[in-house]
Amino acid sequence: MKRLQLQRWSSSVLSPRVRTGSSRLQHHLYTGPRYQSTVSPVPQVENEPLMHEQSPVSPIPSPNPQKSKYTLPSPPVEAARESAKLAALHARLYLPSRLPLETLARSLVDASAEPNSNFNNASLATLGHDLLTYYTSEHLICTYPRLPMAVVFAAMYAYVGPKTLAAMTKEWGVEHAATPGGEVDPGFLQFKRIDPGTEIREGQVNGSTRPNDQRRWRVSMSSRVVYDNEFGEPVQDPTKADGQSTPLPQGVTAEQASSNFVRAVMGSIYLHAGRPAAKRFFEQHFLSRHLSITELFDFSQPARDLSRLCARESFEPPVAKIISETGRKSRHPVFVVGIYSGEDKLGEGAGASLLEARSRAAVSALKGWYMYSPLNVRVPSSMEEESAAPWKPVYVDLGEVIV
Amino acid sequence: MRPSARLLGLEVPSSRTLYVCSSCRQEARPRPILARQFLRNASTSSGSTPLTEKVRRKLWGTENPPGMKDPYGGPGALEKKLRGNQNVQEEGAGEIVEAAEPAEVAEAVGREDADYVPATSWEGIEKIGHLGGWENYPATQSDEYSPFMLKQKLTKREHIYLAAHQTAVELCLLHALKKPLASIYNVVEHDKSVFKMIWKCKIQPGANGQWEGVVYPNKQTEAALVYIFEQIGGQPEGAVAEAAGETEQAEAEAEASAEELDEGAYVSETSGLPFFGYQDVRDKGFLSLALNDPAVKFAFLKRFSQLSGHFPDPIIHPTSNVKEVVDLILKSFNPKPTKLADQLFNKASLQSRSNVKIFAKKQRSSDRDEEMGRKKVIEAELRARGLIA
Repeated sequence: MKRLQLQRWSSSVLSPRVRTGSSRLQHHLYTGPRYQSTVSPVPQVENEPLMHEQSPVSPIPSPNPQKSKYTLPSPPVEAARESAKLAALHARLYLPSRLPLETLARSLVDASAEPNSNFNNASLATLGHDLLTYYTSEHLICTYPRLPMAVVFAAMYAYVGPKTLAAMTKEWGVEHAATPGGEVDPGFLQFKRIDPGTEIREGQVNGSTRPNDQRRWRVSMSSRVVYDNEFGEPVQDPTKADGQSTPLPQGVTAEQASSNFVRAVMGSIYLHAGRPAAKRFFEQHFLSRHLSITELFDFSQPARDLSRLCARESFEPPVAKIISETGRKSRHPVFVVGIYSGEDKLGEGAGASLLEARSRAAVSALKGWYMYSPLNVRVPSSMEEESAAPWKPVYVDLGEVIV
Repeated sequence: MRPSARLLGLEVPSSRTLYVCSSCRQEARPRPILARQFLRNASTSSGSTPLTEKVRRKLWGTENPPGMKDPYGGPGALEKKLRGNQNVQEEGAGEIVEAAEPAEVAEAVGREDADYVPATSWEGIEKIGHLGGWENYPATQSDEYSPFMLKQKLTKREHIYLAAHQTAVELCLLHALKKPLASIYNVVEHDKSVFKMIWKCKIQPGANGQWEGVVYPNKQTEAALVYIFEQIGGQPEGAVAEAAGETEQAEAEAEASAEELDEGAYVSETSGLPFFGYQDVRDKGFLSLALNDPAVKFAFLKRFSQLSGHFPDPIIHPTSNVKEVVDLILKSFNPKPTKLADQLFNKASLQSRSNVKIFAKKQRSSDRDEEMGRKKVIEAELRARGLIA
């Protein structure tokens, strides 16, 4: 596979105004009027003399006239170079120097604040979201090929879900602007907030993309793989949403805006600095977060699942045996039960009763099965690098036990 | 505590059985109000001895304490008035002898003219002193003050050099003529022609920066300057006469300068321009003159401060030659950046940092509000309620 020319691609994706790079000399090229869908454009002729009227008494460049800034829905592109917050954020995240401050500023502008898609982070966030979910899912599936689908969904949500991304935004020290506007420092995350008192139905959608959605059929795990999003949640169908009650300039929650920002940063790194930098950023900021996958399991009948598993894998049926016990007649007895399949001990558990110990042993046996991880894991995206070793197919499991 | 109560307390110091409450004590010894009022003041109770005398006796512990009878300046004005007229006249005459106008006052006091009529109003009487209206009186001779140094400090670099050069030439001349260096202070400003001659002189200091080696442009100048500075230094008449015969021009200039000297504080007609419009020194050999000798150093600094208005007070001690003095004064000319923001902005280490933003003004909470986009919401709400225009 031939490597993509990222710079060329980015020029088609990004608006030309944003791609000013680090050259301040090019600024005069991009001072044209900025046409917004909601705001009437400010004639540039009015701004020009004002900018020249700045008295040269102080060498400190005073900011542009505030009046013209107030008319913009989001900070102008040239404000990114003046913002200390933005530069600090760039340095704090150790972002590649090829990622200009202007793009970072753009990734901080939510679509709810700036309807013009040339100046908001919607496109970057879409790209970043796809990258994040792709990298996370390939990492999960290749590292733990036997994970049940429910656990994969939960792990995906834990790695790149909106709550995690919002927490990361907070950890990165990104503050929220009270209201978006042209006078706002570009270092703030800008989005239009939801009016107070609005009911937020988290995880609920009015109309999903599933067929026969209105019939309220039982949602199986297999159908979630097919129809739902990467977190196993139903996807809002834009054609089915009751649009009469929600006019277009609608606010978003801080969580949504924060997650969009992180996704947009990922997308902008990919566009400006290339795939290796994006993968490095992903590993440093997402995979480095500790997630205990064993705690994501939730078995209702572990003993039954284990017996089905053994039957499927044509092992001998599991047998629970007491390994040791103490204080059977006392108030706090402890039983240690092992589950054996023939001569092999599948798992071991301790509990206050024989049943509890047995189910714990079954859970540990199941987790031992599901948490299998091959050595020297390679993900498919590693093949995109130059001079990559030939691909060896990764282990693919039959899947979880369906009872 | 009243005296009666005190006495009662002394009689029964600590016996519980004989305890009398304070109100009962007061009741026990009813006294007329008048008597109480008299008794309240201890000084009145003890007869004719004044309080001060009593205190003195107590302090010294004797009936006849040493020292002045009355330490507070004798009898008061009323007391004096109450005494006899004769006594007053005698005392007044005796005191006023030491006053400013003894003769007049004595005459006035001791007047026994039959036609003496005491004045009934202030009109026509001689005024002595002022009653707060000092600023309304015209200035007298003693009120005038002319400073030793220039009223306005020189602010140009070239002028400082000119002043230092003039000082150096003058002191070198006086040094060579073996005149007292202090005599130059009487000449506040030279005549233009004299200054021109001084300006043309160069100085080639000795090996260790000795004060000698004035290089004159020509013989005439040398003769004229020697003549002038001998005048300044207080030369005997014979030498002046010898020098006067040199040239006509020199004589004329010498006369002019001698006239100036007589006036003491000479004010030039072309005082608008410092150093008569001369812009810069011709050479800078004078800068290496040494200031090791304290007398020379003092003379130089005094004359230099007289000409330039600058007195480098805190740097007198460490300076060792003229150049250091001039440099230190020139250093103080460099205007510092007044504002901290400007200083920070000009700092190279901060300019390269993009995460540092320097504001020209102090950032207040309203600026913070604006930065966060809150200000327009607040203002819109205030405007909606009619609280701001």
